[in-house]
Amino acid sequence: MQSDNGFFGRFGGSYIPEILHASQRALLEAWHEASADAEFMAEVDRELQQYSGRPTPLTPCPNLTRLLGGAQVYLKREDLNHSGAHKMNNVIGQGLLVKRMGKKRIIAETGAGQHGVASALIAARLGLECTIYMGAKDIERQYPNVFWMKQLGATVVPVTSGGQTLRDALDEALRDWSADPAGSHYLIGTACGCAPYPEMVAEFQSVIGREVRAQSLQQFGALPDRIYACVGGGSNAAGIMLPFIDDASVELVGVEAGGRGPAPGDHSIRLSDNLGSPGIAQGFSTMFLQDDQGQLMDTHSIAAGLDYVGVSPILAHLGETGRIRMTAANDDEVMQAFQTLLRAEGIIPALESAHAVAGALREIPTLSPDKKVVINISGRGDKDIFNVASAVQDAEFGPFLQRYLARELQA
Amino acid sequence: MSSLQTFIHQQRRDKSILLMTHVVYGYPSIDESLALMRDLLSDGVELLEVQFPFTDPSADGPSILHACHQALQQRPTLARCLEDIAQLARDFPASRILLMSYLNPLYRYGLDRLPHAASKAGIAGFIVPDLPLELADDFRHSCREAQIEPIWMLTPETPPARMQQICAAASGMLYCVSRRGVTGGNSTDDIHAGTGIDSTNHDGSRQALALEDYLATIRVETALPLAVGFGIRTAPQVQALHGQADIAVIGSGLLDAFNLGGRNAALELVRSLRS
Repeated sequence: MQSDNGFFGRFGGSYIPEILHASQRALLEAWHEASADAEFMAEVDRELQQYSGRPTPLTPCPNLTRLLGGAQVYLKREDLNHSGAHKMNNVIGQGLLVKRMGKKRIIAETGAGQHGVASALIAARLGLECTIYMGAKDIERQYPNVFWMKQLGATVVPVTSGGQTLRDALDEALRDWSADPAGSHYLIGTACGCAPYPEMVAEFQSVIGREVRAQSLQQFGALPDRIYACVGGGSNAAGIMLPFIDDASVELVGVEAGGRGPAPGDHSIRLSDNLGSPGIAQGFSTMFLQDDQGQLMDTHSIAAGLDYVGVSPILAHLGETGRIRMTAANDDEVMQAFQTLLRAEGIIPALESAHAVAGALREIPTLSPDKKVVINISGRGDKDIFNVASAVQDAEFGPFLQRYLARELQA
Repeated sequence: MSSLQTFIHQQRRDKSILLMTHVVYGYPSIDESLALMRDLLSDGVELLEVQFPFTDPSADGPSILHACHQALQQRPTLARCLEDIAQLARDFPASRILLMSYLNPLYRYGLDRLPHAASKAGIAGFIVPDLPLELADDFRHSCREAQIEPIWMLTPETPPARMQQICAAASGMLYCVSRRGVTGGNSTDDIHAGTGIDSTNHDGSRQALALEDYLATIRVETALPLAVGFGIRTAPQVQALHGQADIAVIGSGLLDAFNLGGRNAALELVRSLRS
């Protein structure tokens, strides 16, 4: 989706410190040239296929469809990307752009750690130095991803300020970029931040929706009637939805993290239920969760990747115009949807993606059986093993860890 | 000529350099921050920069970031901050007070009504690090009407064409960031007397740009007063600015001194910088 000088409606823009201005201008120009260069975009496509295994399948779900008794359910399998999430699409694109610009170092922020792992992977493959900022609280929730980032040669910096989650990591990444604007590229992981990031990341992710379009026509001879995606920063939602933006028959539904409930600090609902309000922070204007003094609020979600205070300006705009319908699913609904999908189809979604599933499960039974619904499974759930084990109160997991520790301490 | 610029020129007649000291409103408490501001103004600092805290101060380093987060525990409001500054401005008419904050608290208050309210409170100018010139047309207009100065920043990364553009748009004074990075930082990043700023790239490909050259380049473009900030902590650093800049900004250094030894230590630092 093309911006109007960096803006999408009243959202977007480039509200950055002066120190970053020249570097941001250089990026704008590089992206402008590269995105019009067929050879570059073909190189991105080739790498998406050869390194990440695209296209990812569109999987029909007969069992889930029977269980729900409504529309026919299909899953877009972004979990089958290399690294296990849609984050790969973006890092391949930006990574190749970094090479084209001649920079040698990338900085990234990460919430759940999926973007961190994807950044570390592409840095290793393209021979780039890589520093990743991650909230200390998120590191506690997602250490296995941190482990892999380090194994891949990246430097992981724990961020201990503020709420110690994604938003604090993003601030810290901006500070790092400010210290070396000419030499480093800030490889942001979602369709947020100053221009051209929202537009650029959404474009790299739009491969998801383009594939869904072709696969739908091929598999059931029509476009989907409805598409569901979870919305944290918003890159997987923008990616699957933007290629359908002009198809009025395709209803687009974004599902935010309802967390523990609507109290401040208990959720990450920016666009539904009138909980967010317009603001300008972290380089761009969008709907933020903030108090009456314009201070950004703490957020919560069972899924670290949705635990973010702002949202893509593209989605804020499309939510405002009504093109995308926004809703939310709370932690408990998400765990239920997660287990339903596991048992019905043998697919383990990331807890982030399970929000899209939860939103869809709620509505599918009311749709007629000739309708087709696509749910974006933005990532796989292996990374969530600790959180899920705790949520389902698995009796064996704790003792297993204790035995593991005892063995390690003896060795 | 704006009244802020006139004030700085008048002060500079018999002083080789002026000091602008920075205090975070509400740190460690609202009363204590106001007491520190009073101490500094009583001691004769010419300019006081009051930072209204924000949760996500992305251009600030660890010292100011921490102070902002502590200050927010007091749940400060911008309206009360303006009232408190108004009192200071009445009590210390010989100095000028600038309001620094990030865009969102100001946006929330209302960018259209803020300039008038701040001007009424006796504030001479705004420093808003995340508001770039090209997105500030409306704000600049409101500021002009309220006769208050939006103060623009220049950095060692600012290309010549943009420097010209900013200098042409600026009034009151210019804030010249002396190095890359955020506020505070360790001493190896700081300016040292005579050695200039380390402007080498991450991969070391660029030449060091002397502070004198950087300021001289700006001086060619503008007759406005120049304030230099980011990393100033010692008297030799301030002395090195004599003849090249009009104002030395003391931010994180002052905060660190305060954290070590309270208001007395902060005052001692300011006095030592004048010697």
